[in-house]
Amino acid sequence: MKPPRHPWLLTAVATVITAAFLLPVYWMAKTSLTRPDRIQTPDPQWVPTPLTGENYSTALGYPGLARALLNSLVISSGVVALTLLLGIPLAYALARVRMRGSGAMVLALLVAQLPPAIVLAAPLFILERRAGLSDTYLGLIAADTTLTLPFTVIVLRPVLRSVPAELEEAALVDGCGLPGVLLRVVLPLMVPGVVAAAGLSFLIGWGEFLFGLTLADGPGVQPVTVLLNAFIGQHGTTWGALMATATLISIPVVCVFALFQRFIVGGLTAGSVRG
Amino acid sequence: MAFLALFLAYPLFYNVWTSVHDVELGQLLGGAERFNGLENYRAVIDDPAFWHSVRLSLIFTLGSLLLQFAIGFALALLFARPFPLGGLLRSLLLVAWLLPPVVSGTLFRWLLDAESGAYNALFRAVGLDPLSHDWLTDPATSMAGVIFANIWVGVPFNMLLLLVGLHTIDPELHEAAAVDGASAWQRFSLITLPLMRPVSVTVLLLGLVYTFKVFDLIFVMTGGGPVDATRVLSLYVYEVFFTFFRFGQGAAAGLLLLVVPLLAGVFYVRRLRQEQEAPTGGAV
Repeated sequence: MKPPRHPWLLTAVATVITAAFLLPVYWMAKTSLTRPDRIQTPDPQWVPTPLTGENYSTALGYPGLARALLNSLVISSGVVALTLLLGIPLAYALARVRMRGSGAMVLALLVAQLPPAIVLAAPLFILERRAGLSDTYLGLIAADTTLTLPFTVIVLRPVLRSVPAELEEAALVDGCGLPGVLLRVVLPLMVPGVVAAAGLSFLIGWGEFLFGLTLADGPGVQPVTVLLNAFIGQHGTTWGALMATATLISIPVVCVFALFQRFIVGGLTAGSVRG
Repeated sequence: MAFLALFLAYPLFYNVWTSVHDVELGQLLGGAERFNGLENYRAVIDDPAFWHSVRLSLIFTLGSLLLQFAIGFALALLFARPFPLGGLLRSLLLVAWLLPPVVSGTLFRWLLDAESGAYNALFRAVGLDPLSHDWLTDPATSMAGVIFANIWVGVPFNMLLLLVGLHTIDPELHEAAAVDGASAWQRFSLITLPLMRPVSVTVLLLGLVYTFKVFDLIFVMTGGGPVDATRVLSLYVYEVFFTFFRFGQGAAAGLLLLVVPLLAGVFYVRRLRQEQEAPTGGAV
């Protein structure tokens, strides 16, 4: 598209729209830094003075919050690990190996993204309980991985397909062993896809709520999203501490996105549109 | 694949099995479930609360879908033009989509709070006092509140996908049309819109599937209330299953909940096939 006549005017318009759109996020951060007695007033302050860390100390004083943050970290890291562990070989097999039914499997992966989580949570609740997996990290990691695995394979498969088989064969002929081929030829090409898959899996694992709510019984493995929801009831009116907790949960999301932005956006669009 | 079969396909089939049995809390650890045919389905279909939630799901989905698509499209048109800081601002918008739904839900509960919520304060500040209202605790407006929050969550994703679509349109088409004297509106309605059709259908279908699934956001914002005003299908299933522990009925309702996304999925896959077969295909 040809350059607009007034590029800075567009910047100004886009900035105003973005700012208006992000008002909720600003309000969250702002509330978390406002003195508790100035939060619930009919005339709220738009810029908090003085800034205070009080809400954060209140939030961190809640029993279980530190533990829940740690649980979420364990779960989302586990989701990333399990997703890549299963997703890379599966994508490779579906891209390379000619086998009966690989078309059906790709179709199955597309369909796998359709069911609402609640339709899975219900049977998983019964099954994991019977298998002794409920209330364990593994049980939650496995449940969350059902959400991340399909799109991981969908993102990675086209990448692997774009590696010409001749290239792999040539490397084999040149005396490079199969592991060498995978490591030196295939892996470098997969990096963007793998980073996208890892980043998105982390975000999904970190933000997941329903499985945490239904498959984790006690504070032992409960993710922080479930705890935040519980806080609304218990500490319903202490919005300052609640917003401090919400901000704490958002920080890793923003960090992961800022670090891997390019890959994540690429993976998002590839995964949803290309299919 | 074995993993997916074990943790995805098996639970789904198990769900089918549960839906034709009489399963209750007592039998959780392996008891005698009685086969009861389509009894559970009948119970669900006879339940007025089920139909109420079907209606709410439709309102929620259509309301969210159309508005987030329209706003997303407008933003995509804006961000498709090159201007300083465009990439940065676009990325900032995506943050809204990436926040965990539980966080967004909590946040909007606070923003829409009667007394000190930001939006109500804003309305009062600009003289729109009648709009200052306790949105979420009034059954008449709570649905509008959750739709509003969901649109906020959905807009960036719509924008992103539509932006990808806009970039596939050959700029020369626009230039040629401009040379021929086409106005901006004509170029938009005669070139951009028709060429964006395939992408738009995909985005709307994905939006339909995603919106129909929404659970966390509504659960956190209203819990389905007040007085069932926002108890969409996913919350209904949750309640039957996890509050009343009527597992068989919950499973049956869950399968009924699958109908809409499955239809959308069939449609989507068929479109993908057609595009792959079409010689020029691959606008997407």
